[in-house]
Amino acid sequence: MTLVEHIRGESARLASLCTACGACVSACPMTPYAAGVAEAGPGAVATGMRDVLRDGPGTPAALAWIAACTRSGVCSAACPEQLDAAFMMRLATWRAKGALGEAPKIPVKEDTQYSPKVKAFARLTLTEEEQAQWL
Amino acid sequence: MAVTPDSAVFWYGCNMTRHGEVIRTTTRLLEAVGMDAAPSGGPAHCCGSPKDASARINEGMAKRTIEGFNATGRETLVTWCPSCHMNMQDSMAPVTPTNFETVHVSEVLHARRDKLRPLLKGRVERRVLLHAHLGFNGRVPVNAMIPEILLMIPGLEVVEHPYRAPGHMCSAISAVPGALADAQRATLAAMAETGADTLCTIFHSCHRESVSLERQGVGVANWIHLLAESLGWPAEDGYKAWRNAADPRAAIGEAGIAAVGELAYERFLDAELRKKPTI
Ligand code: SF4
Repeated sequence: MTLVEHIRGESARLASLCTACGACVSACPMTPYAAGVAEAGPGAVATGMRDVLRDGPGTPAALAWIAACTRSGVCSAACPEQLDAAFMMRLATWRAKGALGEAPKIPVKEDTQYSPKVKAFARLTLTEEEQAQWL
Repeated sequence: MAVTPDSAVFWYGCNMTRHGEVIRTTTRLLEAVGMDAAPSGGPAHCCGSPKDASARINEGMAKRTIEGFNATGRETLVTWCPSCHMNMQDSMAPVTPTNFETVHVSEVLHARRDKLRPLLKGRVERRVLLHAHLGFNGRVPVNAMIPEILLMIPGLEVVEHPYRAPGHMCSAISAVPGALADAQRATLAAMAETGADTLCTIFHSCHRESVSLERQGVGVANWIHLLAESLGWPAEDGYKAWRNAADPRAAIGEAGIAAVGELAYERFLDAELRKKPTI
């Protein structure tokens, strides 16, 4: 199995079980940072998130919620269907970032200096021997 | 008969290279509880999440990492980073078969804490608030286990407060405008309410984002630093000193800059070390 297949398969499975009740949205501590979520209401936002999992465009509020997801995980505990809502949001984030090859629907912030920065710090905090063995 | 230590890989992740002393001390702690854990991390052992916008690239990085771990023949993967841990379980292992079990370092040290207890001899007179997040705790109960480990340190008190920062660690909330500042204000309020003098971080990115709170008159230490202090092991927090220095270049010193390389220091480290505190 490839990661693309895993993302597609899990998205379809979880979207088919989700009732879009919005309990996960209501429980989420990040909604104050997601524009339009309060106005749209939890059910509509959950419907938009589920739409993203089904190859749909989502809604602006749902995309704002997906972009603000920081993996707090309280959504999973809140789900009356006992779905792993946090993993649904992880899947939705992948899809909204265009991981399957579509155009991104939310901003993609990639640190282009990530790798050289990690290595530069390693030269500062690890001995040469540790760098040779641990990196 | 000598007991053979369990053999593991200590997957410290990528961004932990800012805190070499934490990698070193954690490896030593694992050894002290009977686990021979070979440290492994950096970009060559990435979970793939820096490339979340491309499943194809993400998968390639993750696959290379798992194949490397499989090749060691070590039966346990001890994680540090909550993001790496969740990615291994949720998207890496389901795609690329693994021949190891994944456990978080807090689970190992907590399960074997009786081996640590007699070694924790030095008093650490601190009143500590745990820097706790909502996330990851549902998967691995770090917010309960780490205080139980810390409470074995003579002289150390852990205060209780219901505040939990959103997200699974501070790097996640730092990407959402306003969220990290709100969390830091709430954390300082919780410290004031409980009379805590030290904020104890669990994860590296929380430590990275919190060290500048020392300018507000509170202490900031990672749980590994606190254990090292009681054990009498050297674990100087270089990153905290550099981030809080008026001149990080001078604080690092000529030998450190030479080790990094002048150009690399200027291009990759200087801006981060001079970054203004969030609040
Ligand atoms: S709480 Fe569960 S069922 Fe309800 S919208 Fe969220 S994921 Fe779907």
